[in-house]
Amino acid sequence: MFTKLFEALYNKVFVNIVVKRSSTDVYIELCSKNGVIESAQNSFDTQSLSAEIIDFVASFTKESPYYYISILDISSDQGAFPTCSKNRLSYFYDVSASEHKCVDDKWTFYTSKTDIYEIEKRYHKIGIDFIFSPFTLLSNFFQDKISNNIAMYILMQDSFISLSVFENGVLLYAEHLDMETSGEGEDVLLSQEISDEEEVSLDDGIDLEDVDVIDDMEDLDDFGDIEDLDSLEEIDEFSENQDIEEEFYEAEEQIVESDDSEFNEDYQRFTLIQTSLGHYYNSDKYESEFIENVYIADGVGVSNDLKRYLEEEMFLNVYIRHTELGLEVSNLAKRELA
Amino acid sequence: MKYSYITPRKKTAFTQEIQLLLSFFTITILMLLFTYTFLLYKNYTFVKDKKATLTELASLEKSFDKMKASISYIERQQMLSEKVYTQNSVLKDSITNLFDLVPLRITLSEASLLKNGLILYGVTPNKDIYNFMLQAPLRSIFHRTYSSFYPAQNGWLRFVSTNYIDEEEELNSED
Repeated sequence: MFTKLFEALYNKVFVNIVVKRSSTDVYIELCSKNGVIESAQNSFDTQSLSAEIIDFVASFTKESPYYYISILDISSDQGAFPTCSKNRLSYFYDVSASEHKCVDDKWTFYTSKTDIYEIEKRYHKIGIDFIFSPFTLLSNFFQDKISNNIAMYILMQDSFISLSVFENGVLLYAEHLDMETSGEGEDVLLSQEISDEEEVSLDDGIDLEDVDVIDDMEDLDDFGDIEDLDSLEEIDEFSENQDIEEEFYEAEEQIVESDDSEFNEDYQRFTLIQTSLGHYYNSDKYESEFIENVYIADGVGVSNDLKRYLEEEMFLNVYIRHTELGLEVSNLAKRELA
Repeated sequence: MKYSYITPRKKTAFTQEIQLLLSFFTITILMLLFTYTFLLYKNYTFVKDKKATLTELASLEKSFDKMKASISYIERQQMLSEKVYTQNSVLKDSITNLFDLVPLRITLSEASLLKNGLILYGVTPNKDIYNFMLQAPLRSIFHRTYSSFYPAQNGWLRFVSTNYIDEEEELNSED
């Protein structure tokens, strides 16, 4: 009772940490009962917990004893499964060394226990209250779409891609891709796997020849094939299932024009998505459904090229929503406390 | 926890600063309460002592009155004793004088001292000895003297001498 009383008297401070490839973004919200009073954001050129970060966080956390420090999970060994049944989890992955949570008794997200300890150890000076999976962030961010669509939902971070397929709120497939460790060899391996399984799933009506472009990924620096894509004529929309509302939403946002470095990264993202989608279609483990729409939560600022590749190469309707990862992590923390 | 892998740390409004502040206030309040309790106790004992002192004072006053009464009683007793002593001294002198009055040849068997008189019983060899040696000095002391005789077995006379002093005459003579 006293706890509730004190909670009502104090403002809440939500500190949200998003670790990027070479920097750490810290987004802080000072919230009262009526909403956000103050927010601040700062980016620090380090991945570790520097003194500047501690000072920045402390300048807000000293305002109230009710502060919650959240972090988006940076483990490369994480993902999600389309089941909550403990018996079926081992079918997808050995979760003995993982921490996993079930959502709405429909799907499970997991991460490595070691990485959780690593995060807690790294941030022990300020303490961590919440560690969120990118998949929960994704499902929260697209909750208006997930419940009544079948589509692929992708969360773009500068080092990671969290990819999931939901059909009417039910997870069908999920994969967490690390852009730094997903190297060429893996791509080749995946492409071999796909070529081995080309004959599979023909009944689903998918033309797997479209996926064969992966075979040409031996040299990532050779963008000749992609440049060819640019010269293709506009492809007529083959789907009747386009999301008009999302197109209006997207039109309001400015999509960044790419420079060379972003182009390379977007191409890498494209190939990873393509590989993952191929894996989804070809793996026996997952219930494959034909994907027409892709919703991208863009936390890094992808260029228009990625959208074009996906649309032209894979015949997908791509909708990009820009997202502030810190803000979304903050929203998750609020939902967690509600 | 629905979305987070870990549960948040327990939050409390009692931070170290607040705890320090509360400790300070608690100690201050405790000291004030202690002082207040001490003063209450002292006040209580003071009132109690005051009541006891007043009771003692009242009892002392009572005993003082008693002692005063005793003193006055003792003083009166002393005065009485002195009076009795004086009277006894006077009586002793009177008796001594009386026995000095009695000649050797007359023997007294009984003497009764009255408030204003003297009755003597005795034996005399004859009336003359009595008249000259005893009655004459008695008559000089007492205003009225009556004597009666009756014979004894050995031929002597028993006598009863009754002597009175008249107070009026005494007063007149003093004047």
